[in-house]
Amino acid sequence: MQQLLNGVFIGSIYALFAIGFTLVFGILDRLNLAHPSVFAVSAFVGIELVAEGGLSVWVTLPILLVVGAVLGLVIERVAFRPLKNRPDAHFAGLISSIALAGMFIALLQWRYGPDTRRFPAGSFPETPIQFAGVSVTVLQVSILLISIALMVGLTWLVARSRLGRGMRAIAENPTAARVLGVNVDRVTAVTFAISSALGAVAGALYAMNVNSAQLGMGAAIELKGLAVIIVGGMGSLPGALIGGLALGLAEVFAVQYIGSSWRDLIAFGLLFLILLVRPQGLFGARKVREV
Amino acid sequence: MLTDATLTFVALGAIFAYSFYAVLVAGQLSLGQAGFASLAAFTAASLTPKPSEIGEIPALLLAIVIGMAVGSAAAVVLGLPTMHLRGVFLAIATLAFAEAVRILILNQEWTGGAQGMSVPKVLTPGIAWVVLALVAYWFARMGRSRYGRALEAIREDELAARAMGIDVGRHRLMAFVTAGAVAGLYGVLWAYYVRLIAPEDFGFTAAIDGLVTAVVGGSTMFVGPLLGSGFQTLIPEIQRALGVEAGWIRPFVASALLLVIILFLPGGLASLVRRRVRLPKKHSPTGERALRTRVHPGRGEVVASLEGLSKEYGGVHAVEKVDLELRSGEVVGLIGPNGAGKTTLVNMISGLLHPTSGHATVLGTKVGRVPVHRVAQAGVSRTFQHSKLFNRLSALENVLVGGHLVSRPTFLRRLLWLPSARRDELAALDHAARCLERVGLTDLASSRASSLSYGDQRRLEIARALASDPSLLILDEPAAGMNHVEANRLSDLIGSLAADGLTILLIEHNVGMVLSTCDRIVVLNFGKVIASGTPDEVAANPTVIEAYLGSAEAESRPTDRTEGSHA
Amino acid sequence: MRTKLFSVAVAATATLALAACGGGNGDGGGGGQTGAAGGLKGQGSGESCTISQAVPVGAALSLTGAAGSYGTSQQKGLELAAEQLNAKGGVKYDVKIEDDQTDPRQGITVFEGFVNGGKSIIIGPTLSNTAFQAQPVAQEGKTPVLAISNTAKGITAQGDYIFRDSLTEAQVIPQTVKKAKEKFSLAKVVVMYSNDDAFTKSGFEVFDAALKTEGVQVLETITFSKADTDFRALLTQAKGQSPDAIVVSGLIEAAIPLVTQARELGITVPIIGGNGFNNPKLMADAGEAAEGVVVGAAWNSASANELNAGFIKDFQTKFNAAPDQFAAQAHAGLTLIDHAVRSGCSAERDAIRDGLSKISNVPTVLGDVSINADRDAEHPAVVQVVEGGKFTVLQ
Repeated sequence: MQQLLNGVFIGSIYALFAIGFTLVFGILDRLNLAHPSVFAVSAFVGIELVAEGGLSVWVTLPILLVVGAVLGLVIERVAFRPLKNRPDAHFAGLISSIALAGMFIALLQWRYGPDTRRFPAGSFPETPIQFAGVSVTVLQVSILLISIALMVGLTWLVARSRLGRGMRAIAENPTAARVLGVNVDRVTAVTFAISSALGAVAGALYAMNVNSAQLGMGAAIELKGLAVIIVGGMGSLPGALIGGLALGLAEVFAVQYIGSSWRDLIAFGLLFLILLVRPQGLFGARKVREV
Repeated sequence: MLTDATLTFVALGAIFAYSFYAVLVAGQLSLGQAGFASLAAFTAASLTPKPSEIGEIPALLLAIVIGMAVGSAAAVVLGLPTMHLRGVFLAIATLAFAEAVRILILNQEWTGGAQGMSVPKVLTPGIAWVVLALVAYWFARMGRSRYGRALEAIREDELAARAMGIDVGRHRLMAFVTAGAVAGLYGVLWAYYVRLIAPEDFGFTAAIDGLVTAVVGGSTMFVGPLLGSGFQTLIPEIQRALGVEAGWIRPFVASALLLVIILFLPGGLASLVRRRVRLPKKHSPTGERALRTRVHPGRGEVVASLEGLSKEYGGVHAVEKVDLELRSGEVVGLIGPNGAGKTTLVNMISGLLHPTSGHATVLGTKVGRVPVHRVAQAGVSRTFQHSKLFNRLSALENVLVGGHLVSRPTFLRRLLWLPSARRDELAALDHAARCLERVGLTDLASSRASSLSYGDQRRLEIARALASDPSLLILDEPAAGMNHVEANRLSDLIGSLAADGLTILLIEHNVGMVLSTCDRIVVLNFGKVIASGTPDEVAANPTVIEAYLGSAEAESRPTDRTEGSHA
Repeated sequence: MRTKLFSVAVAATATLALAACGGGNGDGGGGGQTGAAGGLKGQGSGESCTISQAVPVGAALSLTGAAGSYGTSQQKGLELAAEQLNAKGGVKYDVKIEDDQTDPRQGITVFEGFVNGGKSIIIGPTLSNTAFQAQPVAQEGKTPVLAISNTAKGITAQGDYIFRDSLTEAQVIPQTVKKAKEKFSLAKVVVMYSNDDAFTKSGFEVFDAALKTEGVQVLETITFSKADTDFRALLTQAKGQSPDAIVVSGLIEAAIPLVTQARELGITVPIIGGNGFNNPKLMADAGEAAEGVVVGAAWNSASANELNAGFIKDFQTKFNAAPDQFAAQAHAGLTLIDHAVRSGCSAERDAIRDGLSKISNVPTVLGDVSINADRDAEHPAVVQVVEGGKFTVLQ
């Protein structure tokens, strides 16, 4: 039972990370490898705000949303927009976002040094709640709820709002979207901003949850995030949530029944299987390509 | 700055980057090379006898053979199930493979797990550079071979490459296996230089590093990986030599430089090296002899016969029960309002689409049952409604790819500098030049396809289609965007091709041109044949006139899926 | 143009290859240092030794990349030691600290640069795997190396120029297990370690053997990745076995979340760690949760030893942070080098090597250090327990 909950909570972190990741991937068909660095940047900035700035977590999280959004705009403007008309935009975008991520991490080391840091003890209610022999923290429950809320909110945004219509039009066909009067550049930038803002919140919550923030924390979760967005389905927000939870649970049960050494193989095995059997993922729509 | 170690690492980095280049050149993004290298390094290091027993060079050579075999075998195993994946999906699948390999090796006793496996140091900078020279030579000679051009064509436009008769699946797998072998080679060389190999050496970072090196160097020219590796390896050395303080600033500067190169040098560092564009020689020593010749059907024989051919999209009939027969030497026009199903029909004839029902036999092949390149091999060649040229290749190279089916494979013979390979290449060039001449593009032979005007692009497509010496030529709106003079010239060209014995199926909106060019005209509306006959008969047919008068309405139909922008 | 380019490439390749071969043969025998040899010999001996030229010391540390936090700590320890030794006079040290970026390629390159650049001795690298890759370069170049953090088996067996002042796990862990068994009367434990790191894996192997020797039953061995920070699933699994203690071979990055999450899950049994846990951040970051954690280590931060107390104070003043074991071992390293240089009053490579091999009971922040016949350091290890937010010696 405890393991089930552990799985759900690890899964909700994966989901939180992946929701932002999959948004850009699904709508703009670009893999933004600077996303993991936003994850780390926000954790460190958040720690500074709480530890040195003396702010409460509830003030810090909205600030981090803004920080993340700004980073997202920077990423889009610097690493993606200049490449959009290039025939190799796929590869080039990967590399330019890796380069930008390298710069972010270097700056982070300059500002904060290479050491592990953490949110000051008690910045979030930490006392575990015990019931029926199971222990959970308020934070873990909050993360799960936030993931679900974000997933629902974003799904609504994409499905119903004007912005979301623009996003979907671009996902379908950027040229056609432009013809239909969608401001492609703006929608693209906003998509990046939202995605990175989510990444930022995920990073801070994650750092709180495990009492630790490291320069490499984004890279550590990056591969799992990729697995989640493939398993869940390209650009599918519910897919990211379900995929994250599925991965978290699969890992936990791997620990219990197969052995912890093979735990990480689960993510990649699952991912591989999905790509072979159902490349569009559990929740992705099959894109019909015609000649 | 150029110490033994940096020299060796430039060479090793370049070899690893070549394993990425091997697939990037065909437009595939794979990150599995780290896994191949890892498997190769650990297997070779544990199977090869110690250098003290059999000598250093024999040990290294044996290890290289084992490593390359393991690398290519792993590539086949990974490649067979994943070759249908594209772009980022392939990258992630292969990355997952590499990570799985890493975890596997971590958990094995014989590999030493995280503590790694010690390997005697045998590799010297000299050997590393000799090996690098061989690898670079391989890719240099590949560039201008039939095989190399086919890979480039796949990168530029996979579908058009298929239509030119290139077996895309086979080529992609071959590129992948090459990547596996080169990655295996790298793994072994690495192992025999650094003395201790650990799974960490072949992790995600290593994979990304290899990809970055290849892309920074440039993935369209064989010197790319070498330049990329020189850049990546020397950046830390230069910073050190300049006295940049050790710490965060160095990775920051390195990343910033990487970003600048990606943003401002679209072709990577190799784009600083001018790409020589090959022009055909005026003399023609061998003539047609080197090209394969096709046996065309005799005049009047049936080239294609369609029976009840239908295509349905979610209940909408794009094409419904079309019966049609094409005979050798005929010029048949296919007309009809927008959305009538013309393109869908020719897509089925050329094998790109599978019919929902009905039968079609084209030049002896049952289309819909066989892959596109087989249909092309049978002698069907086509142009596309929306240009599908190989944009980053020159006009001449486009046509050379078009001649894929009638030219001979030259790559392996080019490696050995056999004169026959040179003769074959010259023959292919002559052939391509003649095709260009026939459509009047000789002067633009060396221009990039993407830089041509719209009309010239249409003509280049025709030249490319002609290059395969087809028995059946399908032209999908070739005159779109042409003025009267150009259209007339095109009409003359079509006439002369028919006189040569080609069968031509022409889709065109320029009804005047169709009437004056074709022997027979088929009119399609709402997926059905509504009229068929000589130009005079069709022009007088009231149903046709009505369909065309009503075409304004038809044109605004939003359900126009078959001829949408994806076509 | 294309053929020309190609022949240029081939020619360049050949030239480079030849040059490289030539370079390889010419070096060795400490050739890189001959020019400067005159100035490296001094007059006097021991405390009175004076050498006119500053002793060139190269340190290859991981300042960026995955091991960046350890390397940075070592850098601070070295800087402090150099400052103190230079203030003392007689022999001055020119310590050149280079970053190997936690990348074997850079490790090898940096070592080669130091050997060819005439460094009298090389310190480092940070990680054991890199050590196996880079230190042979120094051995071939007959340049002494002092490893200050490598704990893997076989480091000094690479050659007679390779020394280390960091105790191997085998010198620390068995006594930790023994002490802990006595103290907590351990009968059965769960062992956890990160299996993708050479340091923690070798730590695990020693733990495993020591537990066997002591007759403690291992209920389950659980592995994790050094990048992991969420240990709840693993800890729940461990808890289910109801062990008397949890033995962990992990680095400080894992230690903090692991310890806090264990307490959060209601695991109250002792947690026993090795060198990786010997870091003041454990108490600073894990807070309450760190109480009762047992840490077997090479450096006793609580030691009342005057040198050690002074080191902690000076370090705190200079860097505004508490030192960890990496810093202490780095500091001790330069102290030992100073001793070796002064003993022969020469900073030539072979003289330093001879000096190092004769080191016996030299006082350092680690305690009195001797170098044994295997060129490994011997000094008292310590078993500590966290009490009241501080490491204290487990009695």
